[in-house]
Amino acid sequence: MSETLEQSFVKQLKQNQNIVHKICRLYTTDSDAHNDLFQEITIQLWKAFPKFRGESKFSTWAYRVALNTAITLYRKNKRSVSTVSYEAQQHFFVQDEYNLEEEERIKLMYQAVQQLNDIEKALVFMYLEDKDYTEIAETLGISEVNARVKMNRIKGKLIKILNP
Amino acid sequence: MEELDLLKKAWQSDNQSFEQVSEKEIYKMIHKNSSSSVKWILIISVLEFLLWVTISIAFNTDEYIKSMHVENFMIYLKILNYINYAVILWFLYSFYTNYIKISTTTSTKKLMQDILRTRKTVQNYVWYNLGMMFVSMILGFIMAFYCSPKLELIKDKIAHDENYGTIIKIVCLLSFFTIIFLVLFWLFYKLLYGFLLRRLNNNYKELKKIDL
Repeated sequence: MSETLEQSFVKQLKQNQNIVHKICRLYTTDSDAHNDLFQEITIQLWKAFPKFRGESKFSTWAYRVALNTAITLYRKNKRSVSTVSYEAQQHFFVQDEYNLEEEERIKLMYQAVQQLNDIEKALVFMYLEDKDYTEIAETLGISEVNARVKMNRIKGKLIKILNP
Repeated sequence: MEELDLLKKAWQSDNQSFEQVSEKEIYKMIHKNSSSSVKWILIISVLEFLLWVTISIAFNTDEYIKSMHVENFMIYLKILNYINYAVILWFLYSFYTNYIKISTTTSTKKLMQDILRTRKTVQNYVWYNLGMMFVSMILGFIMAFYCSPKLELIKDKIAHDENYGTIIKIVCLLSFFTIIFLVLFWLFYKLLYGFLLRRLNNNYKELKKIDL
């Protein structure tokens, strides 16, 4: 019984691991911290897995647990975000389909997002994952209105960071 | 916000830039909690050690021993006591190194070996403690019997007894109490460390399955 539970967990996490990777990238600044957070999230997901009864999609459930883990861990460590090395986090956006100017804007935007606080990052993460406000609200445990208001504030904050 | 939507597009099309984690690695991660069991073994053993030290300080037996006038015995007791502390500290050190090893291990094989080693250490630790308890109880009985002034009456009775009835009764009674006492402690250890060892064992079994 517990064996099949474990197998199904491992299989589903493997399929959905990019969710976790993306969260890790948003909340950490180097590959060691990335791997640590990935492992921590995996452990927390596994601990919570018996309570996951398939009422929602695995990915929806994983968003919630993974973001919570990232936020709590981030709070514990209180790493300073401003010392992000520029190169370390941006290699991934270099894709052929963007011209140089767009690429630069994406990079700057991503840098701005990195400067947000942990809760704001969670909202932006959900936004980038193209979730609607109902799902954002549900995942983060806030009301839909609140999620909208918060997102608007974050956008304002990002504009300020980009145009100081 | 145009930039944010640009980022969103890039974000979503970006699925290849992550080094993918294999199923085997995920298995390993969720069995990494071996290290938390080992951490608890370390914490509990330290607390237990502190408890014994506190008890031996709080219930100072020196007065009692003095009343028996066995100063020549005292030196041996002290030596035994120090040896005991040294051995226990050595065990604590092993628990600590086990913990460090397990929490830094990356290979499954190594982790399995470390789990086995930790198990062995805990078992040795429990047996050592029980053995030490047995030895000190016997020593205590012998000392009390030969030297305590309170037992003169019993000794008198034994001397006047013709067919060893009293001494047999006393030995039976003492053995009975010793066994009860040791069983109680054995249960105590079983409860304290057994739970953690079982978790380690389960982990070991799961790791073995992955490793095949």
